[in-house]
Amino acid sequence: MIIYLKLSWRNVWRNKRRSLIVISSIAIGVFFMLISMALVNGMNYQMIDNTISTSLGHVAIHKKGFDDNMKISYSFNADSGIYEGLNNTPGIAGWAPRVKVQGIVRSSEASQGVMITGIEPGKEKGVSDIFNYMLNTDGSEFLDNPAAGDVLISEQLAKKLDVVTGDRIVIMFQDSRDEIAGEALTVRGMFRSPVDSFDKYVIFTGIKKLQKAAGMNDRISEISIRTDTRDESTVVKSGISPFIKDPEVQALTWQEMAPSMMSAIRLYDAMMFIFFGIIFITVIFSVANTMIMAVMERFHEIGVMKCIGTRPLNIFIMIIFEAVNLGLAGMAAGLLAGTVFNVVLGATGIDLSLFSESMRIWGTGSVIYPLIMFKDIAAAAVIVFLTAFLAAIYPAYKAAKIKPLEALNYI
Amino acid sequence: MKKREQSSVIEIKGLYKDYNSDGLAVHALNGIDLSIKKGEFTAIAGPSGSGKTTLLNIIGGIDRPGRGEVKVAGKNLNGMKRGELSDLRLNSIGFIFQAYNLIPVLTAVENVEYVLLLQGADKKERRERAESILRDVGLERELKRKPAEMSGGQQQRVAVARAMVSNPEIILADEPTANLDQSTGSALLDLMRNLNKERGITFLFSTHDSMVMKRAGRLINLRDGRIVAGKK
Repeated sequence: MIIYLKLSWRNVWRNKRRSLIVISSIAIGVFFMLISMALVNGMNYQMIDNTISTSLGHVAIHKKGFDDNMKISYSFNADSGIYEGLNNTPGIAGWAPRVKVQGIVRSSEASQGVMITGIEPGKEKGVSDIFNYMLNTDGSEFLDNPAAGDVLISEQLAKKLDVVTGDRIVIMFQDSRDEIAGEALTVRGMFRSPVDSFDKYVIFTGIKKLQKAAGMNDRISEISIRTDTRDESTVVKSGISPFIKDPEVQALTWQEMAPSMMSAIRLYDAMMFIFFGIIFITVIFSVANTMIMAVMERFHEIGVMKCIGTRPLNIFIMIIFEAVNLGLAGMAAGLLAGTVFNVVLGATGIDLSLFSESMRIWGTGSVIYPLIMFKDIAAAAVIVFLTAFLAAIYPAYKAAKIKPLEALNYI
Repeated sequence: MKKREQSSVIEIKGLYKDYNSDGLAVHALNGIDLSIKKGEFTAIAGPSGSGKTTLLNIIGGIDRPGRGEVKVAGKNLNGMKRGELSDLRLNSIGFIFQAYNLIPVLTAVENVEYVLLLQGADKKERRERAESILRDVGLERELKRKPAEMSGGQQQRVAVARAMVSNPEIILADEPTANLDQSTGSALLDLMRNLNKERGITFLFSTHDSMVMKRAGRLINLRDGRIVAGKK
């Protein structure tokens, strides 16, 4: 078999220019495939991470039904068992209780429907990145007292409401008795997150202030948990669930809480595969075309090989090897270039500030960090290998069927 | 008579071969009866179209007999399957072509080794035998050269080495000197004759070169697909 590898490799270089064109086309296909995959991975994971770090958390403990209807009636009392679980389950980097109430925020200029989130400022720093998104201008500060009448709003919302730090705004919502309640709060600080929808619709106040205003006593809407890594959410959910005694309360992973985000990611993946399909249909035809030309050019030579005793199967294998060699050479070049390119850009990021508003709508942030993953490299390698193999089957079959007599008479 | 048949490596009885060329039947071979004994150095002569190449192709298992019986190396070629013919060509017959027909991407020694590789010889044995036979044909300094880096005469010597390396019973050569100049052709013929004498390999070659005909041990003349004369 080694002789056919040797023969095929040398045959590849008999027509250097043609082989280089095919190898380059495969390499360019693989290169763009990796870039596309890495960009989509980067965007997806940045979208996931930003959503998790602003609002979702990796795991959250809710009353059943809260996820679909964020009303105060779906709040619950976290018992000591849950806290024991939070403190003893491995993989938990931080947790924080929250109260979430849908309502309206009003200033003298405008109003906006919002999600009012009551947080414990100290614990929240260990769970979400709100603290890191705070602006440091005009006396903007993070909350420090969960009972104080302070509020954090986004810079975007502040513009809409036409307020600045220190101004007063009013929040209105339905309390635990289903009565309309209101509270005047002072804008303590402003933030700017990478997620447009978050900035538009979420404001933060102290958890105790909100519990009191809504008449919730110590009841909370959720406990948001940050795990050590994104991938540990399922393990942590399994670890914490036995500690939850109330059958109406449950732990959910970020995947379960954001099915639409998961659907969007699957849609991205599906689109990528359509894109790859187009690239590799092109590659398959260029390889097949090259191999058919190679077989026709060597019609006489292949006939001679058969004359001296080479079996058709060996001819078939030789031609398959040639195509696979072309594929592997293109793949190696494409993978190398694509990996280096993505690793470098993964560190520096691609600044898409020109499209920052669009990027914020997707929740990715304006700098994308391409993320190259081993499974993508493996997928590219397998696809190219299979493509080259499939492309060579017909020419290899034709070569194997060459009749020595016809080939000897062929000039 | 019986003894002669036993020592024949090629035995042909009543061989006919017709082709269809643009709707016209071409009678390439018209009743050939021929027996070639082991160790003979035989030339088939005749003008173009006389059937020399067709006869060699049928003997070599490259073409199929029409009617008649063809036995080569004790095996009846009539009705043989493709794979069996392939094995016969590999193990019992060596080919030398007019245009050398070496594999261009392989070196001289690799071209010779290739046949042994098809026969399943191990790497060490392949290399030793290939180098040895290339030394025998005077190409010890050209082992690593590819065909394009050698002269026509050298390439034809490699082709002879390739044909001989597997110790076949018969070597078929289709106008082996046609592409060579007089002196190179003569040297090649000397080489083939020496190998024939030293190793007892049967040579059967087609030619229309009078120099080759004179030096053949046996000459068979073909005209219009028939043997018209022969000399010992």
